[in-house]
Amino acid sequence: MKITRTKAFRVFFTPIWESNPVSGQILGICSALAVTVQLKTAIVMSLALTFVLAFSNFSISLMRNYIPRNIRIIIELTVIATLVIFADQVLRAFLYNISKQLSIFVGLIITNCIILGRAETYALGNPPFLSLLDGLGNGLGYSQILITVAILRELFGAGKLLGYQVIPASLYAAGYENMGFMVLAPGAFIAIGLIVWLQKTVAKEENDGKPH
Amino acid sequence: MENLISIFLNSLFVGNILLAYFLGMCSFLAISKNLDTATGLGFAVTFVLAITTPANWLVYHYLLAPGALSWAGLPTIDLSFLKFITFIAVIAAIVQALEMIIDRYSPPLYTALGVFLPLIAVNCAILGVSLFMVEREYSFVESVIFGASSGIGWTLAIVTMAGIRQKLRYARVPKGLEGFGISMIIAGLMAMSFMLFSGITL
Amino acid sequence: MFSTVKSILFVTMLSIVCSSLLTLAATGLKDYQLRNVAIDKKINILKSVRVVDDGYALTPVIIEKLYDENIRQAWINVDGKIITEQLKSEHDLPIYLYVKEHEILSYIIPVDSNGLWGRILGYLAIKSDGKTISGFTVYSHSETPGLGGEIETSWFQNNFLGKEILDEKGNFVAVTIAKGSVEKRIPKHRQKNFVDGISGATMTGRFLSDGLTQALIEYEVFSKRFRNQEITTLKDF
Repeated sequence: MKITRTKAFRVFFTPIWESNPVSGQILGICSALAVTVQLKTAIVMSLALTFVLAFSNFSISLMRNYIPRNIRIIIELTVIATLVIFADQVLRAFLYNISKQLSIFVGLIITNCIILGRAETYALGNPPFLSLLDGLGNGLGYSQILITVAILRELFGAGKLLGYQVIPASLYAAGYENMGFMVLAPGAFIAIGLIVWLQKTVAKEENDGKPH
Repeated sequence: MENLISIFLNSLFVGNILLAYFLGMCSFLAISKNLDTATGLGFAVTFVLAITTPANWLVYHYLLAPGALSWAGLPTIDLSFLKFITFIAVIAAIVQALEMIIDRYSPPLYTALGVFLPLIAVNCAILGVSLFMVEREYSFVESVIFGASSGIGWTLAIVTMAGIRQKLRYARVPKGLEGFGISMIIAGLMAMSFMLFSGITL
Repeated sequence: MFSTVKSILFVTMLSIVCSSLLTLAATGLKDYQLRNVAIDKKINILKSVRVVDDGYALTPVIIEKLYDENIRQAWINVDGKIITEQLKSEHDLPIYLYVKEHEILSYIIPVDSNGLWGRILGYLAIKSDGKTISGFTVYSHSETPGLGGEIETSWFQNNFLGKEILDEKGNFVAVTIAKGSVEKRIPKHRQKNFVDGISGATMTGRFLSDGLTQALIEYEVFSKRFRNQEITTLKDF
């Protein structure tokens, strides 16, 4: 059997290519945009979210047969919050400067709809290993959008990528100017709107008009 | 006093939690198709924010902050790392309690807000405002004003959005941009117009 | 009934597991976090006197070494006298001195200002002539990214270089953030007391100007002693 045919492979890759968590479903836009002014913060945020998503899926799936149904949301939130606090503590200890820039947005991973959504719809009904892969896949799909927006915003807003000057000085001399607009909040909204447009046009998805 | 007015106006416009900090987007996109529902949700969020922000202020400053437990004889304890989980628990508990109280004492209000309350417990705007309140080191009075005005700002944004989206049904939007894409671009244009207030000085 | 007991048991177990995990993480990482905060402060002090450009590229060990070589921390009392740590009382203000071969090149004032949203914390370095600003850094703020948040960028902070806190008659006026460009808006003879503002962030500028003025007033006694050349080397303590 080819690797691309295995269930695990599909679980992992579907969210990355087909049903991307940001554009396909509306879930998880919340905390995504505020940290996309710079590529560096967006990458760290993506890593934190992928970590939390993968392990919350994994641990909830491990406990799925024991979780009392009526209080499952609270239990899921507890697991997620624990992981988020853990991620936040690690960031503060080893990436202090970036964690300062991420400010409250690491904490807001708790209320990110993707995480609770995956726990509810996937982890509660599937075995741990697949849930872990599902979490990783969804995390990476989310990261992909977040990082694309960050690249657009940092490149056009500041002429840099990861803090290094990318747009050559000769262009500035020829009259090019950074788009201050991209650094501001409206830039993020419009960038993500355009990315979704591009993605939908390229993929020619047929679910236009249907509620997501 | 001037400080309070400044917090109020800024949370309403330039620092609108939705349009400048992207908080509460999930419900913003899901609900803002219908003007009545949007207004209802807006009021519920304002209501909950005005209560949970000061409540979390008290919890943070008397239980969690470094040295906050000195009244209990434990001045060296720093529990601030627990703030995420505590805040979310406080919010969930308050929302649950509110739902029961409103149901008991004011059925009309319950029919108006009741459906939205469970949605709100996991709305990132609510947690976000509490976390901002800690990060910006507000005093108790400031936290009350900040909570309420953030809620009003959020309502303003979601109601405007709903109004625009109702009109949008008659507009011809490019195929791929329909739904999610155009909503984001509208949000971008709205964010731009809200930023125009940044020159306001009192 | 049985299910309630089971639920309670489950929740108790989960709480114990989660809380012990978190406590472990928080206490285990505390030292690293505190060290980060201390290093961050040192980086910013070094940045304000331009010993380092972007301290985050350097290892903590180098930062510690540079700090120990160049910076002395002291306190000053109400008369502007420098006091060592052992003798300091509650009312004394902290000051950092940039020292080369016992000669004081600059002194660094901590700035704690209100901002539009929260506190703005930073350092302002002044040359030993007691009037020329040699650097300004911000290490903590919660202003809007892209607007007030520009205060943490180098173009804004570099504006402070060479500006003066005295007007041309020698009276104390502090330094003010102009509304827009200094060259266009401020009369020539006052330009050295103003720095370029950030467009769209008038309020942040106003708050920060107030904060800077406040800090400079507090340390004015000390600055005066530098201007009168009462202090030039470490021995003048």
